[in-house]
Amino acid sequence: MEGYGNHIVQYSPEYSLCAGCETCSIMCGLTHDGFTGPGNARIRINLGTRSLMHEVLACQQCDDHPCYEACPKKDAAMRIDPDTNIVYIVEDDCIGCGKCAKACKFTPSRIQIRKNKSRKLWKAVKCDLCRENPEGPQCVKYCIVRCLGLSDDSVMLPEGVMPAYAQEQEVANA
Amino acid sequence: MPNYSIEDILENPANTQGLYGYSGHIARINLTTGEVSDVDTYQYVPKYVGGRMICNRIFWDEVPTGTGPYDEANKFIYMTGPTTGTGIPAGGRSAAVSVGASNAPNMFAWGNIGGWFATELKYAGYDGFIIEGKSETPVYICIDDDKIEILPADDMWGMRVHEAQAALEEKHAHEFKSIVIGPAGENLVRFATLTTGNDSVLAKGGFGAVWGAKKLKAITVHGTGVIAPADLEKLDFLRWNMNNPGMKPSPVLHLDAIGTPGAEFPVKYDRGNMSCSPGCNQHCNALLMDGVSAFGDDLVNHTEKCVSICTFNYTTDIPAPVGMFWPTEQNYCAPCKLLGRDFPVPDFSDPHFEEQAQVVLPDKLDFWGPDYERGTIVNDLCNEYGIDKWEVVVWMMTWLSMCKTEGLFEGMGNLGCEHEIDVADAEFMKEFISNLVYRRGEYGNMFAEGMHRAIRELGYDKFSETIYHGRYSTMLGGKRTDLPVSLEAAWGSSMHWQGRGYEGSVEKPTWLAACINNMMNTRDAQTVEHFHAKFDYHAEAIADPYHSPHLIDAIIAVQNNAEIKDSVMSCEWQSPDPWWPEMESEMFMAATGAPMTPEELRDAGFRSKLLFRAILIRHYGRTRRQEVEQEWRVMQIPDTWNEVADWQQFNEMVDLIYEARGFDLETGWPYRETYEKYGLADVADEMGKLGLLPERPAERWSDYGEPPFVKFSENRKLEPDYEPDPVKASMPLEGAPPALKFS
Repeated sequence: MEGYGNHIVQYSPEYSLCAGCETCSIMCGLTHDGFTGPGNARIRINLGTRSLMHEVLACQQCDDHPCYEACPKKDAAMRIDPDTNIVYIVEDDCIGCGKCAKACKFTPSRIQIRKNKSRKLWKAVKCDLCRENPEGPQCVKYCIVRCLGLSDDSVMLPEGVMPAYAQEQEVANA
Repeated sequence: MPNYSIEDILENPANTQGLYGYSGHIARINLTTGEVSDVDTYQYVPKYVGGRMICNRIFWDEVPTGTGPYDEANKFIYMTGPTTGTGIPAGGRSAAVSVGASNAPNMFAWGNIGGWFATELKYAGYDGFIIEGKSETPVYICIDDDKIEILPADDMWGMRVHEAQAALEEKHAHEFKSIVIGPAGENLVRFATLTTGNDSVLAKGGFGAVWGAKKLKAITVHGTGVIAPADLEKLDFLRWNMNNPGMKPSPVLHLDAIGTPGAEFPVKYDRGNMSCSPGCNQHCNALLMDGVSAFGDDLVNHTEKCVSICTFNYTTDIPAPVGMFWPTEQNYCAPCKLLGRDFPVPDFSDPHFEEQAQVVLPDKLDFWGPDYERGTIVNDLCNEYGIDKWEVVVWMMTWLSMCKTEGLFEGMGNLGCEHEIDVADAEFMKEFISNLVYRRGEYGNMFAEGMHRAIRELGYDKFSETIYHGRYSTMLGGKRTDLPVSLEAAWGSSMHWQGRGYEGSVEKPTWLAACINNMMNTRDAQTVEHFHAKFDYHAEAIADPYHSPHLIDAIIAVQNNAEIKDSVMSCEWQSPDPWWPEMESEMFMAATGAPMTPEELRDAGFRSKLLFRAILIRHYGRTRRQEVEQEWRVMQIPDTWNEVADWQQFNEMVDLIYEARGFDLETGWPYRETYEKYGLADVADEMGKLGLLPERPAERWSDYGEPPFVKFSENRKLEPDYEPDPVKASMPLEGAPPALKFS
């Protein structure tokens, strides 16, 4: 997709319909921070209250990365992975100013602010495709209906096929 | 301020045990005074776990005896569970209690509901709320993190369910999650529901009318805080192992026919899987897409589960495989998967497979024929007005159909409608339901009171006990077996897996279990007390269903598990797993970090049921005779094998249940030591003061007295083809399908 790097995509309902379980958001927060909430979900769902059709909202990994450009501490708080060109956040350096979130070209912003009772501890959070996790994006891993994938290397699994990591998990749990 | 970190949760001074999972606060909101205050969750946990167990305790402590559903003193108590929002499967649900408006007589009722609301409430920092008092004018409650306001709802009063939900999103933001009532609740229709954003409904109990009496249109919530489970490794294990989820794409299905094999009818039915609440790893096959609306030209999507499918066609009852209630380790499938036809490939090596796979074939009922469009319209009417589909589909529509067939409406016009009485006609259904929702005319007002009360107003003997001659047993080769025109069970609820009427084609041990569970309740208990027992005990239960020790154990376990699943928070389709009895305690520990053995959790379930029992005795004078009489009539209607319950033996079964529960056999009241054993000494003290603690008799009590009179049974004796010999009547006729053999 021109102008965007590898990013989370939502498949067509004809392949797999989002069930609205928000497991992607919940597990995103849990695997990154050990807790979950709207402020630390790097992926969110625009829930169709009436339509029951749900839209996945995740960072599109823009090539021109306006979030990075807006960061007052760029290359410290917000950095670019030289291998993937993905913008990621280094929390220790983030001051939670929110300028990156405002600069996001999408509405609603794909960057969240994880609040804290101390304003000084607010942090921006953004999808970096779980760059440090060898399993890859955890939202994809935990999506039971497999309606999530990656734009560059999505693999349409035959029905009923469980991905390797889930099979390994089953064996390990047995 | 909500919790924004794990430290915020653990450093709450009230959280002396360092529990994860809870938010720590319960909001007390008084609609009379406008006051809002904070209740500490940790005074109730871990002893009362969460959800319904806390609700029961608060009700016992706070709601005075003599309180009616519409009284200012009535409270609506709503609680999430420790797993809610944590990502532990099915934990996203929540529970509520209040004095019900739909049950008969009105008394304590309970219910549960899915949706995104419960998780959002915990993000706002609350585990639940207690709604007290009543407003003079229409209001709604807005919870925006820790800011709670009671706001005017004049502009929303009168709106249908989805209009009200949209209005709240418009007023506040799309992120706000709401529970609302429709016009039915506002007009005190007794079976009015509470509905949340994804069409998840708290339907039983008539809590929509309770809100209507409080002039409470809605509660909307938005939270920005966090939820923190204790054990992420265990949580991960639960996600991959609860109900063995198969990761696979879930495409929209385009169905052009539905129905049981050989009886399919044409539809244009697009169906998808959906999740009722956040974090679920199972998705019920319940999303009906592009249905015809009752209110306009737009096609609408619905959430439709088991009872909804009967609106499309109700010519037969629902077939039930034996294994649905009696699983083996090799073949176990949650009922929702059976309903959704999404069950796993059976393990044919199972030595019990053939017996387990036998299906109790459905009775022929002929209530109304196939019409998919009519079905979506009826479902939409229920969804938009906010009324219980069980009352409408299982009871009202079948009653209209049977009474018309038997000619009972002669001289009554069209019950106040311009359209001729015909439940197969969508236009009649629109008019009839609209009349009752808005209480138009004599009959609109009458049926707004619910079927239990309407039938008594019209004349019980005629409009309940008249024989419907259109029921034929497939298992008996087409023998006419008869129903009364009213599918009423106990406490003002319709039949449900009780061996006759709706979902009635089941074996005697299964329907006896369902009857016991409903008997000991205040509403249809089957929504969380579907009977399950290991197949190992099936032969014993079939041989003597009234005296099977394992059947008694299984009933007690099902009852306790209902409290557990509404408290740890799970759903009927995930819990219990008969082959993983530790599952719920593992869920609890993963969420909270507090130790809880399966035995301790079972005892917590037992405690909650005891508290429930104490409420029934203190508030409503519940006795053995009262509840056995309530249940007796339904068991005097023939089952699929043309059999009815035996008074002596059923009472002996009740004895076994009471003994297992530590109840006195004559009164049905728990003994002091029973309360004390489960940590309810204070409840025992209160019951002692009120003279509601029984003394153990010197000799075992067994004076069951005479069975209550059942007019339907008398009517059947007058039928020319009625066969009073129970042995002869239960013999399969020539040409019948093979009978089940489980010796």
